[in-house]
Amino acid sequence: MPSLISPAERDYILKGIECNIRADGRQRPDYREVILETGVISQTSGSARVRLAGGTDVLVSVKADIGPVLVDPETGEGADKGQIICNVECAPSASQQFEGRGADELNNELTQMMTRFLSHNTTSLTSASSTTAPSSTTSHNSNGAGGINLSKLCIIPGEQCWILYVDALVLDYGGNLVDAVFMGTRAAIFDTRIPKTEVQDLGDGNFDFEVLDDAEDTEIVEGREDMPICVTLNKIGARHIVDASPLEELCTEAKLVVAVNRSGELCGLQKGQDGGIEPSLLLEMIQFGKTLGQTLIKQLDAKIKAEADADMVKRQNGQPVVKLGFFAQ
Amino acid sequence: MSRAELLSPEGLRIDGRRPAELRKITSTTCVLSQADGSAYLEHGNTKVLAAVYGPREARHRALVLHDRAILNVELNVAPFSTGERRRRSKNDKRLLEMASFVKQTFEPVVIATLYPRSQIDIYLQVIQHDGGTLQACINATTMALIDAGIAMTDYVCACTAGWVEREAAIDLNYMEESSDTSEVTIAMLPKSSKITLTQMESRLHVDKLEEVFRLAGEGCKQMYEVMDKTIRDRAEDLARKMAV
Repeated sequence: MPSLISPAERDYILKGIECNIRADGRQRPDYREVILETGVISQTSGSARVRLAGGTDVLVSVKADIGPVLVDPETGEGADKGQIICNVECAPSASQQFEGRGADELNNELTQMMTRFLSHNTTSLTSASSTTAPSSTTSHNSNGAGGINLSKLCIIPGEQCWILYVDALVLDYGGNLVDAVFMGTRAAIFDTRIPKTEVQDLGDGNFDFEVLDDAEDTEIVEGREDMPICVTLNKIGARHIVDASPLEELCTEAKLVVAVNRSGELCGLQKGQDGGIEPSLLLEMIQFGKTLGQTLIKQLDAKIKAEADADMVKRQNGQPVVKLGFFAQ
Repeated sequence: MSRAELLSPEGLRIDGRRPAELRKITSTTCVLSQADGSAYLEHGNTKVLAAVYGPREARHRALVLHDRAILNVELNVAPFSTGERRRRSKNDKRLLEMASFVKQTFEPVVIATLYPRSQIDIYLQVIQHDGGTLQACINATTMALIDAGIAMTDYVCACTAGWVEREAAIDLNYMEESSDTSEVTIAMLPKSSKITLTQMESRLHVDKLEEVFRLAGEGCKQMYEVMDKTIRDRAEDLARKMAV
């Protein structure tokens, strides 16, 4: 990731964006090509790899583990719900700045963003902060937990539940990490299969459960279609673009992350960087992000479905399903 | 895991291999856009990604050497790499130890005197762990260094070997490693057959040592064939593209 940009380059990008021509030939609302592959890591409940043409490479894995329920001491909620625990890590191989502890701040920011947008926390506060720190709001999603039905993940109310560990690994940096991470998470959750459990009543209020080990008979994550994805809008000059390349990100004055689900509901909003956005432009950007987000979800779902169908056909024909992973060029 | 299952009466291991057989190795270089050199290597189910940045300006002025480059190795293991999800901190002693092994292995091989006052960074990412992580890391690093165009005296090929039941075997997978077998990791320079790294945990009877080492040496030679082919194919591919 280049940490410096010359005034000439900055001017070039700025003027280009005004004329609706970006450095790589795209127009302002154009996304780069997304290459998606699910089921790339064995030993996980679900996984996906997202690549944006231009370098960004994110690997997301979902592991379903059994653990105790988390009860909120203040509200008493959570006894009948499962959990989603997110974690984002930027590998030092992704960019020169991520060596050692260099990526810590970015990791933390992305992890918190993911946690907020996906595992909806009812006790979240809106924070007013200085212009240099990101300010955020979360809107109440009617289904809770970023769309995913957490009650379905509970095994024994008050005791055991499924915990979905979502781990995102950024392998290569080419701009627009947030969108790639959320796209990968959506694909990975679509790919996730949770084993079925059988609960036995031992009487006296005691329950025991057994995990059925059938690889064919598994459950999908309910509510996964309502998961939000993010669209990052970068304000450069008086215009805004999506899917910024690393150089464009360096020219950004203000960054707006809009999380939207397929029904067009706003699931989260976060503004970053140290520039300001006029209120009218802000509303316009949110609207734009919302519409673009819905289109993206449709395209993403179509891609995932096409891949799943192709795999099904291969399996029925007895052909081995080979995941390309890094060998796809 | 009972010992009887590691080696069947016909001489086949758990995954159906012969004792002197390596797992399926696939590799490719130049997979990352930001790194100067990168390589991805698969030893069966063990998957490792290596990225090389350098030679570039040293981060810490105090460590700069006036006549040679300094080598810096960082090893990261993904939380989803093993069967059980486990997040390891950056200062995990085991990871730091393995990183320092890789550094010691490559310090005599990289011609560092060609790049004075600079730093060569090697970042390793273990994506999936199924035994033989150190050998995969060393092999991936070799290919990434070559991809970055950093001068080296020779390839460094690594291979694990151990004594499984009644025979010496190479390229142990996770099952074999975690049971009671002894395991040796050897890194070798194929042209001169010199060994730059030997690392062993657990006990091995000294009578069996020669057999295990000999087999590991052969394993390294096989690794060299595979790695060399990948590099040459890529070089030919690039030359063809440039010639047009």
